[in-house]
Amino acid sequence: STSHNDDTNKTIRNTNNNGHTDDKNKKQPSLVRMRVLVPVKRVIDYAVKVRINKSARSGAGHVELNNVKMSMNPFCEIAVEEAVRLKDKKIAEEIVAVSVGPAACKDVLRTALAMGADRAVHVSTPEDLRTDYDLQPMSVAGFLYEVALKEEPDLVLMGKQAIDGDFGQTTGMLAGMLEWPQVTFAAKIDVHDDKSCTVERETDAGTETLHIPKLPAVISCDLRLNEPRYATLPNIMKAKKKKIDVIDVDSEGTSIRMDPMIEMVEIYEPESRKGGIMVDNVDELIEKLKNEAKVI
Amino acid sequence: MLSLARRAISSSSSSSQTSLLRKLSTCTVPVGGHSSNYFDLFNPSEEHAALRSMLRTFVEREVEPQALAHNRNETFNTELFQRLGSQMGILGLTVDEQYGGSGFQDASAVAIVHEELSASDPAFCLSYLAHSVLFTHNLSINGNHEQKLKYLPDVCSGVKVSGMCMSEPDAGTDVLGMSTTARHDEGNDTFVLNGRKMWITNGTIDGVSTGDLFLVYARTGPNRADLTQFVVEKGMPGFSLGQKIEDKCGMRASMTAELVFEDVVLPRANVVGAVNQATLCMMRNLEIERIALAAMSLGIAKRCIEDMNSYAQARKAFGKQLFEFGQIQKNVTESYAQYMAGRSYVYNVARNIELNCAGNGLDADGVKLFCGDMAKTVADRAIQTMGGYGYVGEYVVERLWRDSKLLEIGGGTNESHHKNMMRDLRRTVNKID
Repeated sequence: STSHNDDTNKTIRNTNNNGHTDDKNKKQPSLVRMRVLVPVKRVIDYAVKVRINKSARSGAGHVELNNVKMSMNPFCEIAVEEAVRLKDKKIAEEIVAVSVGPAACKDVLRTALAMGADRAVHVSTPEDLRTDYDLQPMSVAGFLYEVALKEEPDLVLMGKQAIDGDFGQTTGMLAGMLEWPQVTFAAKIDVHDDKSCTVERETDAGTETLHIPKLPAVISCDLRLNEPRYATLPNIMKAKKKKIDVIDVDSEGTSIRMDPMIEMVEIYEPESRKGGIMVDNVDELIEKLKNEAKVI
Repeated sequence: MLSLARRAISSSSSSSQTSLLRKLSTCTVPVGGHSSNYFDLFNPSEEHAALRSMLRTFVEREVEPQALAHNRNETFNTELFQRLGSQMGILGLTVDEQYGGSGFQDASAVAIVHEELSASDPAFCLSYLAHSVLFTHNLSINGNHEQKLKYLPDVCSGVKVSGMCMSEPDAGTDVLGMSTTARHDEGNDTFVLNGRKMWITNGTIDGVSTGDLFLVYARTGPNRADLTQFVVEKGMPGFSLGQKIEDKCGMRASMTAELVFEDVVLPRANVVGAVNQATLCMMRNLEIERIALAAMSLGIAKRCIEDMNSYAQARKAFGKQLFEFGQIQKNVTESYAQYMAGRSYVYNVARNIELNCAGNGLDADGVKLFCGDMAKTVADRAIQTMGGYGYVGEYVVERLWRDSKLLEIGGGTNESHHKNMMRDLRRTVNKID
């Protein structure tokens, strides 16, 4: 149950209170043993020139993944990096990486371990469900919810969105399922001694500062939060000894629905950019903006 | 094959499980298509695959953008080089962890690093090779504990840049014809070094003074093979930069120099291995050096194939895409087959090499002999395929073409490989296997 988060509804924090409440049913996360859960996703590498196979999926098309470089989602990398920095500062004691998807996910779990995560969980889903189209946020959030119940983290740090689906929904759905506070697009995170947390958040209008009176919470990470480290070779070697627990959805069964709730109808490449033209004078410019580009 | 992937698998640490898992775990199907028993020769373990993947990302983001400028200006990217140590941990790839290395004592790993770096900047990779293989690896195999403690941490972190001195102005392929001498002074048990060494990669970094640390081979006895290797440090009296070698055809972002030794006094502690026994150390290190150089050729070839392949799909002529023309098909496909042949040769030899012993000389020479020429030919085909664009610096392949030529000369000329391999093959009078 997630009842220990009633405190987060209070808007005024009692600075004399060191965080304990009277309700003995509520669990008290201890600063000394803070555990961070970091979901990571294996996606097409951000630098790859994407190609569409238009005839796939009965004509809907899909992004061609054969022989294409796959990497950890950049926003997930940022989340792992932030967790490792919390560990370097001794605020976090254990980092658990988790990934939902077919067997290949182990690659990004190994990368997370090499970056500094302590152990990993792989929720292994069927090979035929593509993680960019078929396995959708509601399902992923459901699996992450089950893992969070089991792992009891003090903080879930995750990327704000995946660069393949670009849904940006998993964070919110997960926070909702857990009934934990959620702060999105974090550009700066400070965890305080009393287990409260201040987050600077990027919006289109600028940066705002939010305060979470008490963890646990779900925070999604944005680009400016940090610059992720490369996994050094010694850490890659050490990661070999770190544990990856596998939850095999097929053989163990699950109540989380895996079929897509949204159907992807068509995918196509954007129109290629046409060359510009020179105009002779301002009148011509206005005429073109009005009648051709139709922007005024 | 897919149903096997659904079998519940407990935490992965056994290598047979992981290699099976690795194959099943890829969503992509390699170009040739493979059965579920496939063993990945080019990434024999998960760590190899992780190393290659990490390096590829690093190369794309950090190495690629700086390659052209350093080639143009003949400057060394010291800052990026140091990050190979501090950020990546690969400068001391094969060195024991107790001396600051990564402990990956494996020739396939060495090949992987050189292949990946060279797919973008062979010159930068050459400096890496001189430092990590010619000095660092050599010292980690042949040095004693005190020497390793003294020198290895700084070279593993990149604080010091190092190299190795073998060739001379008048002796290259005829390496045992070297005339640099180290005369033993019995009185204070020192060795006085005199001579000149030529074509030294990392011989200078600033163009004005010498590099930081070198393993220098010198004659210490009356017999032709009486060589000893010494550690020579920057600043030692008598040790100076002869000249920075400029206007090289390729490998221009790697500093090459002539180094001068005039009565350089070396204490006994700077002798690496036994006196008059360095020929063995030299031959042993040459084997891994040649695998590394062959892997550099592989990286060059791979990049050239990728670039000419994508160009052939983008470019149109006479209403068709370029790859529909037979000459272009020949360029791309023959390059691919030769690259795969060379790659398989290199990684097969690497897999079976024990870094501590010699005895793989025939194939170490063989891989370099084959791949050096192969990469040069592939690069040439790439320029030809890409036409005018291929001839221009921005499109990379011309730089790789110029860089590729060195691999038929440095670390052993083609002629030296002919000589060595014939010496070995002469002993075989019956079947080869």
